[in-house]
Amino acid sequence: MKNLSFLRLSVWFYLAIFFAYLLGPLIIMSATAFNSPDFPRITPWECLTFEWFSALFQDERILNGIKNSVIIGFGTVVLSVAMGLAGALLLTQIWPKLRATYYTIIIAPILIPGVVLGISTLVFWDRINRMLGLGADSFLSNGLFLTIIGQSTFIASYCMLVLVARLQRYDVALTEAALDLGATHAQAFRKVLLPFMRPALASAAVLAFLASFENYNTTTFTFGEYPTLTIELAQKVRYGITPAISALAFIIVVLTVFAALANEAKIKRQQLVLAARQNASIEELKQGIKLPGFLSGNAAAVALVLVSIATVVVVVTATTHSPAQCIADVKEQKRIEAEKLIQELRAKRDANRAKEDNKEDVQQAPKSENNSGFGNVFDPNALSTDN
Amino acid sequence: MPGFLKEFLNRNGTGMGLAILGLVLFWTIVLIILPQVSMLDFSFRPNLPPPEIGGPKDIYTAENYKYLIFGPEGGSQDYNAVDLRVFFRTLVAAICVTIFNLILCYPIAYYLGQTKGNHIRIFALMLIIPYWINEILRAFALRIIFGETGVLNNFFVGLGVFDTPFDFIRNDIALYAGLGYAYILLMIFPIYNVIESLDRNQIEAARDMGASWIKIHRRVVIPYAKPGISSGCTMVFMLSAGALAAPQILGGPSSLWFTQLIYQQFNDNSDWPQGAAYAVVLLVTCILLVLAIMRLFKVNMGDIGK
Amino acid sequence: MSAGVGVDLESLWIRFGDFVAVRDANVHINGGDFFSFLGPSGCGKTTILRAVSGFLEPSEGNVLIGGRNMKGIGPNKRPTALIFQNLALFPLMKVWENIAFSMEINGASAAERRKRADELLDMIALPGQGDKLPSELSGGQRQRVAIARALCAEPDVLLLDEPLSALDLKLRQHMRTELREIQKRVGITFIYITHDQGEALTMSDNIAVMREGIIDQIGDGKAIYNDPATAFAASFVGENNVFRGKIKRISGDEALVATNRSGDLVARISTANQGKMKEGDDAMMFIRPEAFAIASKGAKGDHFVTAKVNHEEFEGNSFNIFMEGGGGKELKVTIPNLGQSFKDHTGQSLTLEYEIKNSVVVPAGELAAE
Repeated sequence: MKNLSFLRLSVWFYLAIFFAYLLGPLIIMSATAFNSPDFPRITPWECLTFEWFSALFQDERILNGIKNSVIIGFGTVVLSVAMGLAGALLLTQIWPKLRATYYTIIIAPILIPGVVLGISTLVFWDRINRMLGLGADSFLSNGLFLTIIGQSTFIASYCMLVLVARLQRYDVALTEAALDLGATHAQAFRKVLLPFMRPALASAAVLAFLASFENYNTTTFTFGEYPTLTIELAQKVRYGITPAISALAFIIVVLTVFAALANEAKIKRQQLVLAARQNASIEELKQGIKLPGFLSGNAAAVALVLVSIATVVVVVTATTHSPAQCIADVKEQKRIEAEKLIQELRAKRDANRAKEDNKEDVQQAPKSENNSGFGNVFDPNALSTDN
Repeated sequence: MPGFLKEFLNRNGTGMGLAILGLVLFWTIVLIILPQVSMLDFSFRPNLPPPEIGGPKDIYTAENYKYLIFGPEGGSQDYNAVDLRVFFRTLVAAICVTIFNLILCYPIAYYLGQTKGNHIRIFALMLIIPYWINEILRAFALRIIFGETGVLNNFFVGLGVFDTPFDFIRNDIALYAGLGYAYILLMIFPIYNVIESLDRNQIEAARDMGASWIKIHRRVVIPYAKPGISSGCTMVFMLSAGALAAPQILGGPSSLWFTQLIYQQFNDNSDWPQGAAYAVVLLVTCILLVLAIMRLFKVNMGDIGK
Repeated sequence: MSAGVGVDLESLWIRFGDFVAVRDANVHINGGDFFSFLGPSGCGKTTILRAVSGFLEPSEGNVLIGGRNMKGIGPNKRPTALIFQNLALFPLMKVWENIAFSMEINGASAAERRKRADELLDMIALPGQGDKLPSELSGGQRQRVAIARALCAEPDVLLLDEPLSALDLKLRQHMRTELREIQKRVGITFIYITHDQGEALTMSDNIAVMREGIIDQIGDGKAIYNDPATAFAASFVGENNVFRGKIKRISGDEALVATNRSGDLVARISTANQGKMKEGDDAMMFIRPEAFAIASKGAKGDHFVTAKVNHEEFEGNSFNIFMEGGGGKELKVTIPNLGQSFKDHTGQSLTLEYEIKNSVVVPAGELAAE
């Protein structure tokens, strides 16, 4: 028994470490969006500020990137869901001898490095463009077109996997029944197969949009004059980071959590409704189903409401809170700190000059000044000089 | 074959059948096969200014591949030591990241797969949410943590473990942590899917016979989960070796990733054929490595992507 | 009752690669008939149904519906409606939407569809269930919805592919009567596929017995049961005792057969084979368990069989006696329980007799698998 509880304890310990590794960075990153220093950090905590959010919304490049990402995202969703569905439909009825080869071809883009996909797309369409004798500004060398094509190559494989899982549970007799009752093939597809596939199509579309939105490796070769949000972010992160990026990350994290909880709540609700429907007698059904209360027995819905409330609180605080006083205080404190250091230095230099034998101290002094240049109040060097 | 085609069109209706075939052919031929062939072809050509392409100088040459091995012609060294070292370092590091991820994720996948209860859904949600966050932002989050004045350094220096901030970035620790971080989900899910279908009674039976935990895993769980493990490892390895964002953001200034070399050839040197050649080398090596590992562990291609 | 629309199969061949699923089928189905194809699984009966409904193009030969050749006409253009083995109700549509699907295709308004669906729901005795989903109905109810959906398309011919096989025994027997009644009410031609001889015998006007793509015999239930044309038909429909042997002598429609286990026995040559069999032919003789009666001990002749009793069982309405037979297979005899005193014969030798008109001789051939 003792052994078991030890095992359980170590399992929980491992889980805690694991999820700290998984979620910790996101939480810390989100928190840095509210700290006032120019460099994203949470220690030392200086002032609660929302200025990074306004900085974010004034950044033309970010906004333009979002616009391009959305356009490319929609293009990719349409193209890759259509290709994924066609690929899945063919996979379920292809000649058995060809099946393995065909599957390898349509699954390969998932395993091909994104960089390679980007390059091959760029090289191929550049060549087509040249063969057709078109100029460098033609449609085929347009960044939007190339990015949609390049991303769809592998995103369609993801969609295919999602769709084929649902399609395998589809009874072909349903299509045959529709045909038998007089429907054309197109009608049978629209009225019977598509409604059956709708949940999987929705998942595939969301997956495709997210994959497109966050893609970097392929897009970085194909974007041309249409940098996406991810491309802009990468540029910013590589050449100097600011908490404005944390602010964007915070928004994305909140949206993601929100979407995930909403989805959970919806699933849970459907389960509850289904259970209620199955328990209900015919009379009850006739009167219309009495839905269970939105929140009853639905933890995800409760969490959703809590997150919504928290968001409202944050937004309200943001509009009323002014960090100006705090920032001024911190500045003042830093100034005092710096002055104190300068005085110390001066005192040291005077002492040195008086002694005129040790030059190393002079070299050490400016170094410590550099270190505290960021105003690191809890910097151990600063502490030691205080002592 | 025309018989198969006719039957296909009969079954789906001519219009629908042609639409399906058209989309699939566009995807497989125009988007998947032709670009790869085109890239391969391109990698064997010299780097020429646009007007000369297709002209007399546009001949097949293995120059671009020679460059990777021997360096520039008339160079001071016998071998292109810089690029080759980057190449092998990338492969070895990707393998290390894969192994690290497997060790980290296997217990979690096992726990999630074999435990019942509501909190499992919450754990699953907590696993998925980070995966929905942009790859760049995830790398950025680690950069904040591993930076010189980041959380970790402040923490350890504050505790007195280090006396000066440790440079996680220059020592590539940030990079490995970032690559591992990025692909956790891709390792967990395939393993989880397989372990979930493992009958708990098998484990109970083995335990009943007095097998130790290690033995149970070695003899029962791991053989059963092999398709999931190899699927997860393949994905993580391919994605790590082909990663670009994490090395750019988290990599030290002196240590490059092979994809960064490709990127440089395309964007900084404007030497597309050279970049294409490097891309082909990366693709072929990765595929061969994965095939070799799959053969070693006797796993099929069909198991990938489940 | 209207005359209904007849269906003809003319020299129908259906091949899948090298495999022949249907071999030269020639069938005439009268308009308004309840016609069954009866055979074990894999005999090609479903293939015939798919050829009639238009999902399969025959390799050779023609399908005629109401005298019109159906070549090149797709399933959605044929005057047939098919009830699938698994029913194939649209899971995401409500019951009434399922029933009125064919009207939706024709562009009928929701009100019209609803009205017609409610009428049909009344007909299949499910009033007021239109707003449920198919998954909320019981097996028998789903069955009836599938029938209503097919009838809503107002087909000339209704095709049923083993629609009762998924139901439990009680419901299956109940649905037999119900199906037959519906067919009489609507008066259209029903073509029914089954491997269950009970279903075929109780419901059908005419039955085609099929084996490995070949139609062995077509006739009404009594003819198939009492006067089988082939060894397969004799052994597949109902229980039967087989005696293998050679024909010794033929006189009129009777033949004396030298059997392998009970000496020389006389039996009637089945109608389809009269005039086609000659002395010296390999033949099979069939006598049904209920055609035997216990004879006085030691009686001898060409319609007496004597053998040792292996064991007996009491089945309520009858006694079954299992007797030693040549060729490894036991001889089964069923004596109706009429309250007579019945003593156990196990281990003893027993003599049975049968009436010649209740026995049948056919050319030797393949038997149905047990």
